[in-house]
Amino acid sequence: MKNKIQKYRNSLANEFTDNPILPIFILAFAAACIFVPNFVSLYNLKNFLLQSSDVLIIACGITFVVLNGGIDFSVTSTLTLGSVVGAYIMAMSPIAVYPYLSIIVANIVMILLGVMIGCINGFAVTKLKMPSFIATLATQLAFSGVAILFASLVTDKPSIAGLPEPFFALGGSGKFFFLPITISVLVWLFSFWLLRYTNFGRRLYAVGINPKTAYISGVPVKKVIFTIMVLSGMYAGIASILATARNQVGVTSLGDKMFISIIACVIVGGTKISGGFGGVKNTLFGVLFITLLNNTMNLLGVEWYVIMIEQGMLILLAAMSGYWLSNRQNKRMLRAAK
Amino acid sequence: MSKELALELSGIAKSFTGVKVLHEVDMQVKQGEIHGLVGENGAGKSTMMNIIGGVIDKEAGTMKVNGQPYEPKSPLSAADAGIAFVHQELNLFTNLTVAENMFIELFPKKMKAAIDYKQITKSAQDCIDEYELPVNPKDKVEALPAGVRQMVEISKGLMKNAKIMIFDEPTTSLSYREKEKLFKTLADLKKKGITIIYISHILEDVFELCDRITVLRDGNIIGTNKTEEITNNEIIKMMVGREINQVYPEIEKDIRDNVVFDVKHIHYKNKVKDVSLSIKEGEIVGLYGLMGAGRTELVKAVFGAEPMDKGDVYVNGKKIEHVCPEESIKNHVALVTEDRHHEGLLMNKPVKDNLVLVKLVDILKKFGVIDRSKETKFTNEIIKSLRIKVTDPTFQRANGLSGGNQQKVVFGKWVIKQPRVFILDEPTRGVDVGAKFEIYTIIANMAKNGSSVLMVSSEMEELMGTCDRILVMRDGCIVGELQDGDFDQETIAKLAL
Repeated sequence: MKNKIQKYRNSLANEFTDNPILPIFILAFAAACIFVPNFVSLYNLKNFLLQSSDVLIIACGITFVVLNGGIDFSVTSTLTLGSVVGAYIMAMSPIAVYPYLSIIVANIVMILLGVMIGCINGFAVTKLKMPSFIATLATQLAFSGVAILFASLVTDKPSIAGLPEPFFALGGSGKFFFLPITISVLVWLFSFWLLRYTNFGRRLYAVGINPKTAYISGVPVKKVIFTIMVLSGMYAGIASILATARNQVGVTSLGDKMFISIIACVIVGGTKISGGFGGVKNTLFGVLFITLLNNTMNLLGVEWYVIMIEQGMLILLAAMSGYWLSNRQNKRMLRAAK
Repeated sequence: MSKELALELSGIAKSFTGVKVLHEVDMQVKQGEIHGLVGENGAGKSTMMNIIGGVIDKEAGTMKVNGQPYEPKSPLSAADAGIAFVHQELNLFTNLTVAENMFIELFPKKMKAAIDYKQITKSAQDCIDEYELPVNPKDKVEALPAGVRQMVEISKGLMKNAKIMIFDEPTTSLSYREKEKLFKTLADLKKKGITIIYISHILEDVFELCDRITVLRDGNIIGTNKTEEITNNEIIKMMVGREINQVYPEIEKDIRDNVVFDVKHIHYKNKVKDVSLSIKEGEIVGLYGLMGAGRTELVKAVFGAEPMDKGDVYVNGKKIEHVCPEESIKNHVALVTEDRHHEGLLMNKPVKDNLVLVKLVDILKKFGVIDRSKETKFTNEIIKSLRIKVTDPTFQRANGLSGGNQQKVVFGKWVIKQPRVFILDEPTRGVDVGAKFEIYTIIANMAKNGSSVLMVSSEMEELMGTCDRILVMRDGCIVGELQDGDFDQETIAKLAL
């Protein structure tokens, strides 16, 4: 019995050192339950999970890229472009008269748009040998522009409304709130499995730590990088479906300001920006924590620019504490080795 | 030679995270002598020198320089006391020019802020002329070969008017010719009355150069002796605490007649010119050459780590199309690279991840899922058979191991694959005497089990001790071949020069 307790305690301690944000999240959640009015209501908890769901999906994709030593800025433009193109297909295109067909086509097109942008990023990084920082910044700008151009060609209004009713289920409307949550949990599980249990995951970490060693050890470095960029784009495409359905309109401002939030989730979760360390488990808690903060701040009526300040401080804090933690871990490992 | 002491250490102690690495060490260095310091990896040589150089703080004890108490707070105060340090790892800024590197600590300034480039170029040129370096002060350091970089670093130390110079493994990256030149420089310095502390693994160099030799083992000084009064074997015995009668393992093996590895007409960037060689099953072939002869370039091109310009590689008679690491590994070729920090290991990752990295593709289940029980089985087997000292391979990282054990991990990750062709580039660099023997044993056992081995080394003796045949390279071409029995240092050196 005692042994068992000891074992649980050890595994919990390990969990806390691997995910330093987890205890903080638990404390913050408890505090929110006690101190923030209206936080513990079915409506708000549902909202909290819905808000996390599309962020979690994009953040998983970004986690792959960051683990691999890169960055993907273009996800926000995928979000926007997917949103307007998808909304156009469902509301204004010739097939819009068949709601179910148009939903299916729109969803496929939205995911394919993500894959396409991912392919362009992957091509630029592996074949043209551009740093992902530059390549994805360029595609982000270009495709945000394309999204606005597209929207201006098909409509005069700032958004595309009139989407078919059944589509909103994907955004969690009414009794379907479990649907987007389930989708994001499935995507997360798949990502977790990919990183933890497959050859691909192991290679991804190897490339993130030292591409040269990985290459000489027979890892097809370029193929790995390309696949990751495509995955990240595809995840952004899926997230764009959920976000559009939740907003119930296609808008060009969907991805605005979102990127920093997502990066905050990944870094606060504990994935190292230099590559090679962390994972989607870290990202999960990062997403929950950041969404929790945004949610409670909203409930408390805090202005959005204050939220920006808070997120900036958090990224700084996370980077500092990450440095401190890894130092401590190194020391402990040295002691254990001796 | 004056009888005064240039440097006196008494009772110096230091621990890292609770482990004592130096136990109240006493050492006296006389003025104007070349003082050798030898010891296995981890004996505490570098720690001791870092304390003298002001890089780290001591815990206890006192130091005196020329009889004056000496308490360095930083490398700068060591320089003020006339102590210069030539590091094991080259400490040059590769993106700057030779002249900029020489003056990096103290640029002569014009108008208090702007650097006086005319002045530094001139002073650097004077220095270059004095030591006959084959460089231009305006050359970028990244364009220079490792040997020349070392000479730049040494002259940088000399420029600071040092009275005591510490050399930490200065010859590891030098060619034979450059080494001779360095030794001549050291002798000149001695004549000028400069005291030198010389740290090295290569005992023959230490014997050639030094007046007295101090042996350090596990943080204790075992003894200081005059060079004339001690033999090589006695030093080795003092270093390892046991007698090593045999430096190379005796393992019976056969060389079969079939050619396993056949390389034809390799060209690579003017550094490798039309090289062909073939290795039989169970044969160990050595590749000797001076720095810049194209040895590393040849093996990298053959393996595909660098793309060759022209040439064919055959394994067991089958031609490898598109030579790249992935293809080479599929065809059972392995490459242990020279630089384990940057090319051999994932330094921050656990030992286990490093060991199975190449093997992963063979232990996959459906959908590319790794078979974890096989993974553990293979790791544990290899740790046992190569006797890698690691307590918890899933937790302990590669950078927490000693140099010898790191090298064994690099070997392990390829041995696990059971390659037919085993290419080794400087397999014992930075590895101590005890671990060297174990690595030679691994190599010989691989050959015994039917692998063909191609081994590049700068240590002639090591090749003569382990190989069945030695090829000598010069200027990108193979210029000679010697069979076991005809090995002769002089012949090899003549071919290589």
